[in-house]
Amino acid sequence: MEPISSEVVDLSRLQFAVTALYHFMFVPLTLGLTFMLAAMETVYVVTGRKIYKDMAQFWGKLFGINFALGVATGITMEFEFGTNWSMYSRFFGDMFGTPLAIEGLMAFFMESTFVGLMFFGWDRLSKPAHLAVTYLVALGSNLSALWILVANASMNVPQGTHFDPETMRMQFDSIVQVIFNPDAQAKFVHTSVAGYVCASMLVMGISAFYILRGRHKAFAARSFRMAALFGIISTVAVITLGDVLGRLVYEHQPTKLAAMEGVWRTTKPPYEPWLAFAIPDDAKQENDLEIGIPFVLTPLVTHSFTAPITGMKELEDQAGPRISSGIAALTALKAWRASGSASDLAAFNAHKADMGYGFLAARHAPGQDVTAIPAGQLDTVVNETKPDILPNVFVTFWAFRIMVFLSLWFFAVFAFGSYVSLKNRLERNPLLLKLCLWSIPLPILATEFGWITAEAGRQPWTVFDLLPTYLSASTHSVGYMLFSLAGFALIYSIFIAAELYLMFKFARLGPEEHGAHARHDDPGHEDGLVVALGE
Amino acid sequence: MRLPTLLGLALTLVVALLFAVFVGDQGPWYFAWVIGTVMIVLISGAGAVLMDAQNEQNPSEEV
Repeated sequence: MEPISSEVVDLSRLQFAVTALYHFMFVPLTLGLTFMLAAMETVYVVTGRKIYKDMAQFWGKLFGINFALGVATGITMEFEFGTNWSMYSRFFGDMFGTPLAIEGLMAFFMESTFVGLMFFGWDRLSKPAHLAVTYLVALGSNLSALWILVANASMNVPQGTHFDPETMRMQFDSIVQVIFNPDAQAKFVHTSVAGYVCASMLVMGISAFYILRGRHKAFAARSFRMAALFGIISTVAVITLGDVLGRLVYEHQPTKLAAMEGVWRTTKPPYEPWLAFAIPDDAKQENDLEIGIPFVLTPLVTHSFTAPITGMKELEDQAGPRISSGIAALTALKAWRASGSASDLAAFNAHKADMGYGFLAARHAPGQDVTAIPAGQLDTVVNETKPDILPNVFVTFWAFRIMVFLSLWFFAVFAFGSYVSLKNRLERNPLLLKLCLWSIPLPILATEFGWITAEAGRQPWTVFDLLPTYLSASTHSVGYMLFSLAGFALIYSIFIAAELYLMFKFARLGPEEHGAHARHDDPGHEDGLVVALGE
Repeated sequence: MRLPTLLGLALTLVVALLFAVFVGDQGPWYFAWVIGTVMIVLISGAGAVLMDAQNEQNPSEEV
């Protein structure tokens, strides 16, 4: 088979990155807004105050715009696995396809079905029934995220699967192991709750805009308070789960962790500083202009004061024996497929754990065939392969830092916002209100940088330690990839423009267009649970 | 309270307990997400109810 050209691999990566990052501009708001709508509607059902129904309907309209575009941009990505990543799909499809199929059949159908009821059922369903529908929409959208993140976790920390030398692909073993993969758990909660932060900032920012303009004050003050409280707890949860994920990366993906922290040499605990600023130089394998906080890195990453963090240079050296073993695995596998002999199979099984490193070495072998490496050239190929195990350190390091710094900013904004709102002093703090307004896009930006950290840091693998990215793409031409990339970029940009236009339009119109609600001192009463219980 | 309602609530409680025991053991972070999301929704809602109470006690146009 002809080797896949590196240009096609790079363009396939770029296309997936572009479509995924576009798609993920819509997803987090969907994840978070649904539960915030549920919170607003819960208050409406409990208190019977109509203003909370207005809130659920108004913010629900913004959710609807976002949901429609999120679905449209998400569907193409599932097809991309087949069109642009056919080698990956063949190798890992049994494993990866299962959670994706469950997502489509269970979560997405559930979410889509109940979305219609949520929008059009206000006058047709009883209050508790409509509330239940809203919760089911929230659950459905987050279950969609669950299955996608389960699939993603299986690429980062493969579990519940094994390589079958007969079929030459990963076979699915256990759905339970796949679902309860620790990486899937932490990643799901981290991502879902990051969506809560995005939704909180959107609601808080637009509410701040109304308060600054002196419009819809009762509506905006309640929305602001709910969003600020929603946001502050969610931000704490995101940071906590970020720490959990970091610990998992330390255990399972040492190259990614070292790149995230810019650790070139194995650390000497406990002094090691956490680098707040540095310019990692991938070529020289060192950092320039380091500014760090001493004694923070070791406990932050390892949760101890004594455990070292292996540096990238040492990880390269440690990879040498695995690359040699991987070459031996592929050589034995080829021999076994030709001869069927038990000794060849035994030789393969002895080196099977390092097979992925053999694939990685194939890039430097004649015709990408490790069995064609002349005996005297083996060490050269191993040495040439060693640097390939590292991701792009500059990108991983800074994507991670931007996400971390933004999360600290969100904590400050939500904490201050909650305090001022609880004191009913929002109007006396116009600076805070302006900061909230201008911070609306930042959580979405943070989630994008989170994904860049996770996926750029996973390189050079599509399936960590098993399948290199350069072997995963389809055998398209460069022209085809450029044309389709330009098409996606154009169409998705139109989607973004449509989303922004509609969001701005409806946010500017405000809640009164959706039914006038009562004044600040009389938020309106209908029968609610509190009323029914004799308030 | 009628018997079917009681039985329904009892069944929900048993399912919730089984869920907590199994998921809490096998998937602690999934369990944390369920509990945490409920808590976030309730605290956020409580904040809104508190605002209504504050406005009733101290009526003011300021927010």
